[in-house]
Amino acid sequence: MAYAYLFKYIIIGDTGVGKSCLLLQFTDKRFQPVHDLTIGVEFGARMITIDGKQIKLQIWDTAGQESFRSITRSYYRGAAGALLVYDITRRDTFNHLTTWLEDARQHSNSNMVIMLIGNKSDLESRREVKKEEGEAFAREHGLIFMETSAKTASNVEEAFINTAKEIYEKIQEGVFDINNEANGIKIGPQHPTTNSTLSGSQGGQHAGGGCC
Amino acid sequence: WYTRLLHKQRTQEENLMSGTLESLSGLGEDGSSVGSDSEVNGMSVRRIDKYGFLGGNQYSETGEKEVRVEVARQREVKWLDMFCNWDKWIKHRFQKVKLRCRKGIPSSLRAKAWQLLSNSQELLDANPGKFEELEREPGEAKWLDIIEKDLHRQFPFHEMFAARGGHGQQDLFRILKAYTIYRPDEGYCQAQAPVAAVLLMHMPAEQAFWCLVQICEKYLPGYYSAGLEAIQLDGEIFFSLLRRTCPMAYRHLKKFKIDPILYMTEWFMCIFSRTLPWASVLRVWDMFFCEGVKIVFRVGLVLLKQILGSVDKLRELQGMYETMERLRNISPDAIREEILVQEIIILPVTESLIERECNVQVRKWRESRGELTHQPARRLHGTRAIFDYKRRAASISSGGSFSFLGSSIPAPGPLRASSKTLTQKIELKVCRNSSGAIEYVNMKSNYST
Repeated sequence: MAYAYLFKYIIIGDTGVGKSCLLLQFTDKRFQPVHDLTIGVEFGARMITIDGKQIKLQIWDTAGQESFRSITRSYYRGAAGALLVYDITRRDTFNHLTTWLEDARQHSNSNMVIMLIGNKSDLESRREVKKEEGEAFAREHGLIFMETSAKTASNVEEAFINTAKEIYEKIQEGVFDINNEANGIKIGPQHPTTNSTLSGSQGGQHAGGGCC
Repeated sequence: WYTRLLHKQRTQEENLMSGTLESLSGLGEDGSSVGSDSEVNGMSVRRIDKYGFLGGNQYSETGEKEVRVEVARQREVKWLDMFCNWDKWIKHRFQKVKLRCRKGIPSSLRAKAWQLLSNSQELLDANPGKFEELEREPGEAKWLDIIEKDLHRQFPFHEMFAARGGHGQQDLFRILKAYTIYRPDEGYCQAQAPVAAVLLMHMPAEQAFWCLVQICEKYLPGYYSAGLEAIQLDGEIFFSLLRRTCPMAYRHLKKFKIDPILYMTEWFMCIFSRTLPWASVLRVWDMFFCEGVKIVFRVGLVLLKQILGSVDKLRELQGMYETMERLRNISPDAIREEILVQEIIILPVTESLIERECNVQVRKWRESRGELTHQPARRLHGTRAIFDYKRRAASISSGGSFSFLGSSIPAPGPLRASSKTLTQKIELKVCRNSSGAIEYVNMKSNYST
């Protein structure tokens, strides 16, 4: 399907916080507690609409283990948005946020929009990190914040879409240079171009990448 | 003896099966996993395929070409014959062994063959009781926590690993934990788990453990160490090999700045166990155990060639995003067992080419990033290299001198072998490692031009 813009996202955070489940809930609208562990990077994509425009989100889901940190860094390049995820039932995943944030800031472009996510909000009885703590951390570091549940789908749509809205606003304000793919934004193929070397003028669906 | 062996194998398989089916009923203690009897881990269950998969990407539909019974029986007899005189076969008729691995090891004898090819069998025999000893140790909490979180995330659609807390997951925990105690300096890397799981699908925990040890230390040293330096170096080697073997794919990836680390990490670290259809995985592993990392490079190169090797294929991949999506979702046509294996065999990428490229990349690495923390030259290229290495080490430990590439090397070790004709300088030392297992350690090995 043709899109007006493509945004690249990256999902980061400790192992087992629910990064892959968030991605699957967003792209496939289902919760699958049992899935293969992410090694290296996984991909997902979905089309959303903002301001009447079709936007394709391409989402890179990364491995969380510490030892993969050195290669996760190479995934940051060219990301327009990042979801930094912790698990509200595990304090240590919250404590590691600073390191993650340092990494993200250091290896990405400075305009990257970062959304902080406290996941597993359905497990209220096992909560170890108060919502206020998440909010405070986000305020302190200039992030957007939400608590989500990949299991019940609560706030999952919002988390991905609000991040996109923020990126979209930045584009409108001229903060992002959309002609530089290194910013994680790509203009869709249906924009009029003079490129006639690509065949199939009817529809021109080349770069849509399928039915995502 | 032959009948007895097959019978034993079959009994093991039956035990395995019943254990699984019982434990499947215990699925989903949190009520989330199982909807009904016909559903496992959120997937509706089809007939279990011949490899034990209940569903998922790697489920094999029936209708695959089967090896004829007479051919299969003939191959079994040949392999059993090799088992009886294993060292002689490796020493004198290695090409034949290699050929037979390329044809595919009979599934009834695969476990035994992998253990002989990797020499893990000998390690097991040399260290009786060691595994139990490791099991008795408590282990470090920081590793155990991660391992526990990963147990249900390895081949969740395989009958052996589908059940939470089932025997497959228990064994997986045992060997991964044991490894962190065996090699406390390395600990646990998440990519080890699928490798261990594949081994467990074929052999009991103790045997799988020693086989894992050989993979981590001889076949792919440094792959699972902190910092993942070895895999990044191999990524660079891989990319420059691609330039030789498929310039079109190379140019495409270069044009869109798609670094090897983006797509080959999982391929290499998991030895393609999560990428290929299962029949192909087994064929690749058969060759890998015999010929070493060369096979891993070749599989990756063949895949890129198939996916990015023609103008037609590249036309619809005009960008990093499109290309990455394609690389993550390889079409089954590109990876059919027979075609894939054939392509792997004919690809002209040799050990010496890999070593040469390795030297180049090591030099570049040192210039741009400084010293390496691992020793790339410790890697042994498969069965023959492990065998030669073992003999050299044994010769040193017995106190006698031995001949290496025509030059006599004095004993005892640690010692240094050096000669004008040698392309390799090696320091060998026979020792016990930190956890007390007998180990032959290649202390230092530099390549000179």
